[in-house]
Amino acid sequence: MDGLLLLQAFLIGLFCYLGSISSPWLMGVTGGYYVLGRPLVAGLIIGIILGDVTTGVILGVAVQAAFIATISTGGTQNSEITYAAYGGIALGILSDASPGVAVTLSVGIGALGLILHNFMMIINSIWNKRVEKATAKGDEKGIVLNNAIYPQIVNFLLRVVPITLAVYYGQGFVTKTLDVIPKDVIQIMTVLGGLLPALGVALLMNLLIKENAQFIYFLAGFVFIAFISNSMIALTAVALLIAYLVYSSSSGQKANAEDEVI
Amino acid sequence: MVKLDKKDLRKSWRTWAMYHLSSMSFEKLEANGFAHSMVPILKKLYKDNPEEYKKALIRHSVFYNTEPQSGSIVNGIVASMEEERANGKEITDEMIHSVKTGLMGPIAGMGDSIIQGIVIPVLLSIGMGISSNGNPLGVIVYMVGFLATILSLSYVLYMRGYQLGISAVDGLIGINSEKLRNAFAVLGTMVVGGLAASFVNINTILKIPNGEESIDFQKTIDGFFPKLLPLLAVLLCWYLISKRKWSATKILILLICISIAGVLLNVF
Repeated sequence: MDGLLLLQAFLIGLFCYLGSISSPWLMGVTGGYYVLGRPLVAGLIIGIILGDVTTGVILGVAVQAAFIATISTGGTQNSEITYAAYGGIALGILSDASPGVAVTLSVGIGALGLILHNFMMIINSIWNKRVEKATAKGDEKGIVLNNAIYPQIVNFLLRVVPITLAVYYGQGFVTKTLDVIPKDVIQIMTVLGGLLPALGVALLMNLLIKENAQFIYFLAGFVFIAFISNSMIALTAVALLIAYLVYSSSSGQKANAEDEVI
Repeated sequence: MVKLDKKDLRKSWRTWAMYHLSSMSFEKLEANGFAHSMVPILKKLYKDNPEEYKKALIRHSVFYNTEPQSGSIVNGIVASMEEERANGKEITDEMIHSVKTGLMGPIAGMGDSIIQGIVIPVLLSIGMGISSNGNPLGVIVYMVGFLATILSLSYVLYMRGYQLGISAVDGLIGINSEKLRNAFAVLGTMVVGGLAASFVNINTILKIPNGEESIDFQKTIDGFFPKLLPLLAVLLCWYLISKRKWSATKILILLICISIAGVLLNVF
């Protein structure tokens, strides 16, 4: 029994809980899911816990790239990003894995994590029923306990226990597996890591693009980065200009339409 | 005449900002979080009237779901409507319900596209650029940048919603806000195009035989359209999602199959 590793594994599990989508303790999703839950941030935290900040941040950047366009609007997830980040990056550091392998570990762990997350949402229906009863009685304490405290005990257990065990027992397993698997499999993982952001990007496009003609804006952003400059800050500034032009030209049209009515 | 003071409003905002999803389930999502955030408001307004207090809590426990951080404006608006109602103004249950259900859709659409579609990916790419060699500074830039922007936005929107009350609704779903939404969609779509070119990464190792020697096919592509393969990968996924209605999981499996086939056939 390795006491230090167990403590480290537990701390990683704890941060996986604090960064989960329903954890309220760091101002809800603002400090939790969108900050601690991002792989980029998880990489730094895991690096500090395991005593290797540089590797942690490098793996964090790699896993973040695969999850760059992760969105959480109902039913579009294929992987739970917080389980993915904490499980994948931690095992990646502990087994000296390449960034490509860490990405694949994350995707696999995230897929399993999504099952646990959905399980929690089902369990929460029970607490919801109890909130309803407390509401009907005007019982403030009942609302607080059943909306905030009890569901979080379940969420805590569903995050901390599996991640602690996975990190504690997974290290040897992952290292041994990586030693014996053929080079082609590692190459497949690396290729997949590069392809995955395409899925997230497509989901965002589906959210943003309402008419096919708007694809032209996507193409403009794409060729800007591919041909002109690799700076997202520069692109954002140009995109702001174009969005402003679209806004001011469309207000002109609407004003004219209203004039005609009058 | 009961009046809400700054302390009640702050407490209500903080409760919403923390507990919006704490008991999320498939059928209720943020419903209980909304009711929970109304507790400090309703307790003050109906402290001498337990029957009205109960009714008000039940009123706020119906299904509710929006983008929670920008959605705090709805909680502010509803707090001001509850205050007017408690002071005898004619505000019916239906009015409160229709404000909530009428706003949650447009605000979710706009909030998700701006926060998840623009703010987070742009801040992340800035942070990742600084941190790509393992320097933790980029991570800190992301954390501070996001928290400062979004926490203040959420707080300001709640207080603004309370000040404007029901009159805020027209501004939020009128013609003007639709134009604003369209403009943000343009901004978001361009940024997402840039993200695709930055982060989707696929190169071929195919070689074209050319007499004695051979030419790298990737070099040929780079010569006329760098990142053409990533663009094609994105277009394929987008087509399958938007036109064929494939689920994300199905596409993930397809991408795994493409990776396996591509490596085994010596394409990637």
